[in-house]
Amino acid sequence: MTTTFTPSRPYWCAGCGDYGVLQALENGLRQLGIAAHEALVVAGIGCSGSLQNNLSCYGYHTLHGRVLPSCTGAKLANPELTVIGVGGDGDGYAIGGGHFMHTLKRNPSITYIVMNNATYGLTKGQPSPTSLNGFENNVEEDLDPVLLGLSMPGSTFLARGYTGQPAQLTRLVVEALRHAEAGKGFAYLEVLSPCVTYNDTYREWRTAVFDVEQDATYDPNDRAAVFARLLQCRAERRLPIGLLYRNEHPALESVALRKDNGPAALVDIDSALLKPRYEKLMQSLMR
Amino acid sequence: MNRPETRLPVEDLNIIVAGQGGDGSLTVINLLATVLQQSGLKVYTERDVLSRIKGGLTSATLRAFKGDRYCIGGHIDLLMAFDPDAIEKRAKQLAAGSIVIYDNSGGDIREGLLDPDVRVYGAPFARQAVKSFRRDLFKNSIGFAVAGRALGLADDFMRATFERRFARSGPQNLKYNLDALALGLALADELGMSAGHGLYEIVPTERHQRLLITGNDAAAFGFLAAGGRFFAGYPITPSTDVMEWLDKYIADFGGVVRQAEDELSAINMALGAALTGVRTMTATSGPGLSLMQEGIGQAGAAEIPLVVIDVQRGGPSTGLPTKPEQSDFDLMIFGGHGEFTRAVLAPGSTEDCFYLTALATELSQRYQMPIYVALDQALGQNSASVEPFDFSRVTVDNRPRYSAGEVAQRDIYKRYAFTENGVSPYTIPGTPDGMWLVTGNEHDEFGHVSAAPGNRKKQMDKRASKLVSMVPDLPRAGRYGDPTAKIGFIGVGLTYGTILEAMEALADHGIATQYFQPKTVWPVLDETLEFIASCDRVYVVEYNSTAQLAKLFVREGADGSKIENVLKYDGAVLQISELVAEVLSHEVAHYEREVNAA
Ligand SMILES: Cc1ncc(C[n+]2csc(CCOP(=O)(O)OP(=O)(O)O)c2C)c(N)n1
Ligand code: SF4
Ligand SMILES: [Mg+2]
Repeated sequence: MTTTFTPSRPYWCAGCGDYGVLQALENGLRQLGIAAHEALVVAGIGCSGSLQNNLSCYGYHTLHGRVLPSCTGAKLANPELTVIGVGGDGDGYAIGGGHFMHTLKRNPSITYIVMNNATYGLTKGQPSPTSLNGFENNVEEDLDPVLLGLSMPGSTFLARGYTGQPAQLTRLVVEALRHAEAGKGFAYLEVLSPCVTYNDTYREWRTAVFDVEQDATYDPNDRAAVFARLLQCRAERRLPIGLLYRNEHPALESVALRKDNGPAALVDIDSALLKPRYEKLMQSLMR
Repeated sequence: MNRPETRLPVEDLNIIVAGQGGDGSLTVINLLATVLQQSGLKVYTERDVLSRIKGGLTSATLRAFKGDRYCIGGHIDLLMAFDPDAIEKRAKQLAAGSIVIYDNSGGDIREGLLDPDVRVYGAPFARQAVKSFRRDLFKNSIGFAVAGRALGLADDFMRATFERRFARSGPQNLKYNLDALALGLALADELGMSAGHGLYEIVPTERHQRLLITGNDAAAFGFLAAGGRFFAGYPITPSTDVMEWLDKYIADFGGVVRQAEDELSAINMALGAALTGVRTMTATSGPGLSLMQEGIGQAGAAEIPLVVIDVQRGGPSTGLPTKPEQSDFDLMIFGGHGEFTRAVLAPGSTEDCFYLTALATELSQRYQMPIYVALDQALGQNSASVEPFDFSRVTVDNRPRYSAGEVAQRDIYKRYAFTENGVSPYTIPGTPDGMWLVTGNEHDEFGHVSAAPGNRKKQMDKRASKLVSMVPDLPRAGRYGDPTAKIGFIGVGLTYGTILEAMEALADHGIATQYFQPKTVWPVLDETLEFIASCDRVYVVEYNSTAQLAKLFVREGADGSKIENVLKYDGAVLQISELVAEVLSHEVAHYEREVNAA
């Protein structure tokens, strides 16, 4: 067997929520039997953006905010790969916010896990798009990315977990990975993952979370009802967790790629072999 | 029409079709270009458009010639104007005995505007088009017929061209266009231009087929031929054609084109794709290149192979979107934060666009780094007759990739291993036991983030060393003219054709020159410095205001006192006569100084 890099030990602060996300992802990959060499984990920049170093998969540390375009490019180039994006709330909703919207709209079959701690951990505690009004002189309203996701017609899987509820979190990770593996599209999972050092929200979130899976009347397939319910939760300052919304919509790779083509990354590009076909194309362009 | 006794063979013919934006001048020029190329001539076309879809005076120019020409000539032989304003604008360029054909639907041109020996024909193209087809656009086909008669094209040759050109646009459209052509021929009869009595001897030939292709399309083809199979981009003039060409053909070869939501996304989609092993490219211009800088630095730091085409346009900011400039060299060579390895190739001819982009694609893989191909609006969008591409000149080699088998033979695999030439073999996701950590953070050989000073320096030096180890593979300059001449030219992109013709004119004035056409701009190769050293004076011709190329050569060791800058940055194309005049005035001044000193 060939030795390659040894996964490093996480460098997060003791008590950081991200440990729970790492654990849940490891569990999920194991449960679904996804081999390390078949998965590409793309991480953003931030405390959360070091998670790929703690796994033994192919790991790509992209630029701040560019997790989703990187994942989309990789998935389109080789749809056979399991592509998983991980990053922070600043990474995904601030600097990468535009990509978030467009990825929901495109619906590529990738899993995206956002470790939302409602602050910029790595740069030491500035307000992020999900910070509450009043946090560190923040005067803006906090963004609810799930509500944004609901407004995007291409959304197929919107979920939220909480590191304080690890069993459910693993279940959600498994569901998300399954959604993407099945080629159903973009599996978005936001994890409430507290930053104990700059925005310790454990106490508030423990009491605020509301598990929709405990509510028999909750129907994740009914977009309008979910929207109404989420608005209601927001008014009551509760944080809904669980599989919040699910829908069917063609996955990007199933409509953007030519059906009979294999992965572009694996196609034979031997120039001697293809010369007659290049010649033919050139002939068709000649006058 | 008072026609010459004998019909002339075409030696060097320049035709302009001008009108308001949206009039379809380009369509007429493209049709004429096809016909003239089919009659065995080489052609070169240029367009002069504004960054809007409708309105504003625009024009397209065509030069048909025997021999080799890579730019538009200085005079006009035939001007076809859909808008009389275009005649006012171009009156000065009309050669003696030239022909003006114009649409007089809106009235006749002013008395005395043109020299008496210019032959002027007015006909109501637009009015006829609206009357017969209810669409103004068919005036192009009517006008084409009149221009074709004036030139001496046979009627059935024109008809055959229409049948081919409009075959795929539906039977109704083809019929209308053929009817419009017939109407135009009847109009030509009325104007006294009967069939078989045009100015020139132009006959169809099947002897020698050529491509009529733009630099952008040739570059796209070069990428494809070198195994390029993934392209991500965001539309921007004048580089969009690259994406559009690939979008048409790449899927037939198993490839993918993706239009992203912005350039930040495009460059990062490209990087994500490149990591899977697919040969990847993006193309952009000015503002897009600024947005891509962080991503290109990532490709440098994380050693991700990537080709970036920059079709340079007038900057800064939104600048002159449809005009050529060569003002991004500093950005390509020095742009991005920190220091990273990249190479910049610069084509001069349309053929170069194909071969250099193919080479860039190969080199990006071989050296695991970003490679720029620097075009400009004119080289990118003008089209030229080129000889069929020679695909056997395109190398595709998967070095330094490790297959699963090669990985299995090793005890240990390190993505960023230190090696003699600085290139570390890579694996692609899916390869068992080939896992890596790829990152733009400084990293150790395995890809673990590391700030250890010793490792940092070694990794920096490793990446930098690739710029040295790749030198034997970098393309060498094209050389033209008298190799013993003491007066030299250097220029890339759209200066290529202008310099070559200016050299002929200077030779007529008794001034011998040679031209060094660098194909590698960065790193600056020794051959460039040696060329400058071998001359007494070198005219570095570039489309920017700060002499970016000349300063680069001086920074790398060239003797600056030998360099004369010829700088063009007004958005217009440098005329051959302008360049000749500039060189002559310098040379005269120089001569006088020498005489005075003696
Ligand atoms: C272009 C760019 N701007 C700014 C930064 C600095 N920066 C690094 S991490 C970060 C924010 C991280 O916040 P988040 O994404 O929420 O991750 P967390 O650390 O909270 O997990 C910022 C602003 C950067 N790396 N790149
Ligand atoms: S600073 Fe916050 S987010 Fe970062 S590791 Fe520490 S607890 Fe986690
Ligand atoms: Mg955060």
